[in-house]
Order: sequence, then structure tokens, then C-alpha cells
Amino acid sequence: MIVLNDEIKKELIKLAAEKNIFLEGNITKLISPESDKTFRDYISQCVARDKENRRKRLDITKTIQQQNKELTEWKSHNEQLNKDLQSALEASEKAKQLAENDLDVLQKRTQYELVGSIVKVALWVICGVGTITSILFAITLLTDIENKTVESSWSNMFSILLTNSFSIVGTIMGVKYASDKKGRGRCKCDD
Amino acid sequence: MDMIESILLVDDENLFHLVFEDACSLLDITLNLMAIDNADAAENHFATIVRENKPKPDCIFVDLNIIGSSFDGIELCRRINFVHGDGVVIGIISSSDDEQEQAKAVKAGAQFWIIKSDEIEPRLEEFVKDFDGYKARTAPFKVYR
Repeated sequence: MIVLNDEIKKELIKLAAEKNIFLEGNITKLISPESDKTFRDYISQCVARDKENRRKRLDITKTIQQQNKELTEWKSHNEQLNKDLQSALEASEKAKQLAENDLDVLQKRTQYELVGSIVKVALWVICGVGTITSILFAITLLTDIENKTVESSWSNMFSILLTNSFSIVGTIMGVKYASDKKGRGRCKCDD
Repeated sequence: MDMIESILLVDDENLFHLVFEDACSLLDITLNLMAIDNADAAENHFATIVRENKPKPDCIFVDLNIIGSSFDGIELCRRINFVHGDGVVIGIISSSDDEQEQAKAVKAGAQFWIIKSDEIEPRLEEFVKDFDGYKARTAPFKVYR
């Protein structure tokens, strides 16, 4: 224990009385008050004030500690929410992409089906006209009737058919290629 | 009840240093408290004490997970007990109540485990009552909940 002389004791008591400045901290527990009642009261007051201050500080520190803990938990919770939101956003982007692909495939399929129908109808019309013209030409040949008009028509028809046959065959092949792709996979239709 | 001569606290949370210091002062547990926030620094400090033959702390409180250190509190207990010499009352102070970790701590030489929470004072009061038993190595491992 620390023993202070009378002069120091008086100075400390005077300082407390005049300026409200007290000893504080663990040092107050190491100073011997001895038998001096005034100084013993002074030391008791110092210890009590120190304990009160420590209690206040302890409460504040605990509150801050609790707030820090809550903030850390909230931060972690927010980070998790952000991750979940990011995942949901990515999933919706993928779904959007798939829907767009499906729509594109559907549009292309409709277009190909329409083209296919047009080609089929055109082929039927051409074949029908060609067949009818050929039959008429055969009848004129067999019956020996004047056949100049039918002959030129038949000749024109077949030259047109020959001229355009490559184009028609090309269109048919195109439709067939598109139909094959539909069967293999949606996205490959874009190729 | 006598105060503990000197205490070393190893905990990465500086706010807890203040809590612990104030609690020790209010409960008259010790007048000599040193706080270190890193296990490596604590090990070096203890090695220096042993090397220079300085007085060892009477009791060491070690946090379980000391962020920013190359090893945890249990490893620090083990090193202080088995590498740098024993004779010091050492234990864990942590918010965890994991029984597996407690078993590891016992193997590392920890004598007590104090659960860190808002109300640390009653546990410290209880611990101080048992301190003489820990110092004499007669008290069994105990968890203060």
C-alpha cells in the first residue's frame, strides 16, 4: 500500500473540494487511508466515483459491443440477401433468354411452314398445268388437229419449268433443311 | 478474497478488453491486467517472459478464435502449457459453447472455459472463487455458463 504524507493528502482533498478533481483508477485501491478520517472519506469518495465511472463505461461498452454484433449480423444477412437477389436475377435473365429463343424458334418454324406450303401449292399448280398441257398436246397429236397453239404452250411451259426447276428444288431443299434442324434442337435453328 | 496478482487477456476484440478491464476493476479481481489482441504476439510475449526470467502472469484468458493470428486460442494454450512451460492458470474465454472444442482445450491444458456474453461479471465472480483450486491444480476443468 502507498502511504502519502499529510501535505499531499491536504492538497488532494483541497483539489477535490475546489476543482472537483479526484484520484481515479486502480491507484485509489493502493493508497492507504490510515487512521485519518478525512482522508479515508476522500479515498472512499474517489473509489466510489471511480466505480460509478467504470460502471457507466462498462454499460456503454457493452451497448456498443451489442450494436457492433447486430451490425455484423445485419451485414452478413444483407450480403446473403444480395447473393439471393443476384441468383434470382441471373435465373430470370436465363429464363428471359430461353423465352426469347423459344419465340424466335416459333417464328422461324411458322415462316418455314408457310414457305413449305407455298412451295407445295406452287409445285401442284405447275405439275397440274404441265400435265394438262401435255394431255392436250397428246390429244392434238393423236387426233391430228391443228396444234400450233398447244405446241407452243407446251414448249413454253416446259422451258419455264426447266428454267425454274433449280430454284424450286433449292427452295424445297431449304425447307427440308430447316425442318431437320427443328427436330435436332431449338437453338440450332439460329445457325 | 485475495485479488489475482496479474492477468493476461488475449482477445482480438478491443472492445472486450475494455469490458474485461472494467469488470475486473469493479469486482476487484486484479489490479494488473494486460491485454493483447493477437495470438502470435501473446506467444512471443510469453516466450520473452520465460527467456528473461520475468514474473509470469498468474492467469491467462484466451479467446478461442483470435482473428489476425496464425493459430487459434487452443493452440496458444497448448504452446504456453507444453512449449514455454506450465504453472500458469490458463483457460478459454469465448462466446462458443462447443463441447468438441472444449475437449480439445482440455487436451491443450486449459483449466476452465468461460462463456463470453453480455453478463460476464457473475461468471468472473464464480471463477475467482475457484481460482485457488486452479492454481493448486486440484480443481477440475469447468465451463462457466
